[in-house]
Amino acid sequence: MQSIPPLSSRLSRRRFLAASSALALSGPAFAQNASVSGQITLMAYAGIFQDNYIRTVVEPFQRAFPNVKVNYTAGGTSAQMLGTIRAQKADPQVDIVIFDVSTSGIGNAEGLFSRITPEEAPSLAELYPEARAVGGPFGPAVTYDHLVLVFDRQNLTPPLTKLADLWRPDLRGLLAISAPPNIQGLAMTAMVTKMAGGDHVRSIDPGISKLRELAPSIQTYDPNPDGYTLILNGIVRVATGWNARAQLYSDETNGRLGVVLPPEGSVFQINTINIPEGAKNRAAAVAFVNYALSRAAQKAFTERMFYAPTNAQADVAPAALARTAASAENRARMIPVDWAEIAKVRDQWNNRWRREIISAR
Amino acid sequence: MSGRQREQPLRGRLTGLALIAPALVLLGAIYLWPMLGLGRMAFNETGSTGAMAPALSLATFRSLFEDPFTLETTWNSVWLSFVATLLALVLAYPLALFLHRTQSRFRSLLTVLAVAPMLVSGVVRVFGWLALLGDRGLINAALMGSGLTAQPTRLVYNYFGVTLGLAESLMPYMILALLAGFGRLDRACEEAAATLGAPPWRVFLRVTLPLTVPAIVLGFLLCFVLAMSAYITPKLLGGGRVFLLATEIFDHAITNANWPAAAALALYTLVLVLLLVAAYAALTRRAEA
Repeated sequence: MQSIPPLSSRLSRRRFLAASSALALSGPAFAQNASVSGQITLMAYAGIFQDNYIRTVVEPFQRAFPNVKVNYTAGGTSAQMLGTIRAQKADPQVDIVIFDVSTSGIGNAEGLFSRITPEEAPSLAELYPEARAVGGPFGPAVTYDHLVLVFDRQNLTPPLTKLADLWRPDLRGLLAISAPPNIQGLAMTAMVTKMAGGDHVRSIDPGISKLRELAPSIQTYDPNPDGYTLILNGIVRVATGWNARAQLYSDETNGRLGVVLPPEGSVFQINTINIPEGAKNRAAAVAFVNYALSRAAQKAFTERMFYAPTNAQADVAPAALARTAASAENRARMIPVDWAEIAKVRDQWNNRWRREIISAR
Repeated sequence: MSGRQREQPLRGRLTGLALIAPALVLLGAIYLWPMLGLGRMAFNETGSTGAMAPALSLATFRSLFEDPFTLETTWNSVWLSFVATLLALVLAYPLALFLHRTQSRFRSLLTVLAVAPMLVSGVVRVFGWLALLGDRGLINAALMGSGLTAQPTRLVYNYFGVTLGLAESLMPYMILALLAGFGRLDRACEEAAATLGAPPWRVFLRVTLPLTVPAIVLGFLLCFVLAMSAYITPKLLGGGRVFLLATEIFDHAITNANWPAAAALALYTLVLVLLLVAAYAALTRRAEA
């Protein structure tokens, strides 16, 4: 069987930059503005997110706004980024932050972030209504991702096709499932509850009971450094993961890492883009937010890293779109989860995992 | 007493104070000040959505002490630290005694080798343990290859793995503490006991061991405190199954962004360790008396 070359090798850097520059300059939602200038600091995730975000969004933005210099700083986990913003409340050193909605919601409630209006950032008007709604008057959703199951395509026969496959006897001791308080564990709770015929809003009892049956198959509830690496090192066969990273790793390993969006349903993970209250260079920060939400940036980042776009008008290549949760078929599988509501029951779910699942033999 | 004689102790005290002043300033800046901040943070409140609000409330402490899980994690931490420290002592004592006694010209090199693990990152050492003890590690491969077991034996991602990894990480500290305390061990006392007809095991039990008690006390105390605050080893070798005070503090602070809960638990841990250390010191003082 002929292996599929990685996407990164199929797109030459020059062609990619030329295409993204052309798109950037043709986008109607923002205009090149020489009056915006100075430096801004963008804080977001490290690793492949950083590499690809700089390539697809930050660099084209700097070409469109030549007087603005963007400093990308890796902020660790979402909670660590919130910690940084909290610590700098009196003297913000960060102008833009991209992180998980469950933590940006906390920041919004604490008054750490400023409001962003469609008048100053016209791209807001092009977003899916739910992408706008998720941040209220504050920073909106900038990327959608979702929970997937990743597996070792080389060493798992038959391959994994659905969530219920995790209970297969041949997978005993070969699973890496992130438990709460990790949000993968929270998402998994909602997914298994639905698979077991329940609804996480009413009661997670069916899910907890089903997960307890899975306990003997789970090797670790805290995969380190992550589930993808444990699979590629042959330590486990199946793990929970996030679609975007999983798709990229799948390409980079010539398909060894298999990715399954469970037909039983999955849960969106949402990253929002926020401007801290009192940011030093708000004008340039707003210009960046507007660009990051624009059709051009959303298309480029989705095609590069398979995060589903939040801009409803982004013209993403169908092949890339099919590998995100944005396609109509995949979108229909998503379980509606309100992360603000999940935050209220997080400790309770966490305790149930510890007492009823992790302690089970 | 002449004025000059009175002046000298005063001058000595002032000189002493001047000498320790830089250390005191440093301690105040990097320890005391953050501790005060931590103390203040613990009295803030966290709403149901996770948002933190400035307050002077005992709500966080109340929910901490009302949760039976706090007692469970406390017991896990104390017991695991005790067992890991004891294991480190049992493993380190013969090594330290050998290093203390040896006349080899390689003595210095051997001592450096014994404490060399301290030069390697804790994360790297833990991944070494995973390679050895994992389901597909060296030991399980040997067990299954020799036909002793049909399935991998779970040696990591549980309390056993954490205890073993923690004991290994504590050994260099234990060896150094024992070596420092072995100064009181006089070979002549052991020779006298042997001359009077005591067999080697009795010499060890009645002479060597009692003479090295101060070293054991020092090493045990140091390693127990280190074990109570250890985070990397339980986090990486625990597989999400080992719940200790240190891992709980991390989860509250870094995963949940619940700083008041993390601060309250950190203060609780600090007080607990101080109480345990004070009790230990009182017991050993009484035993020595």
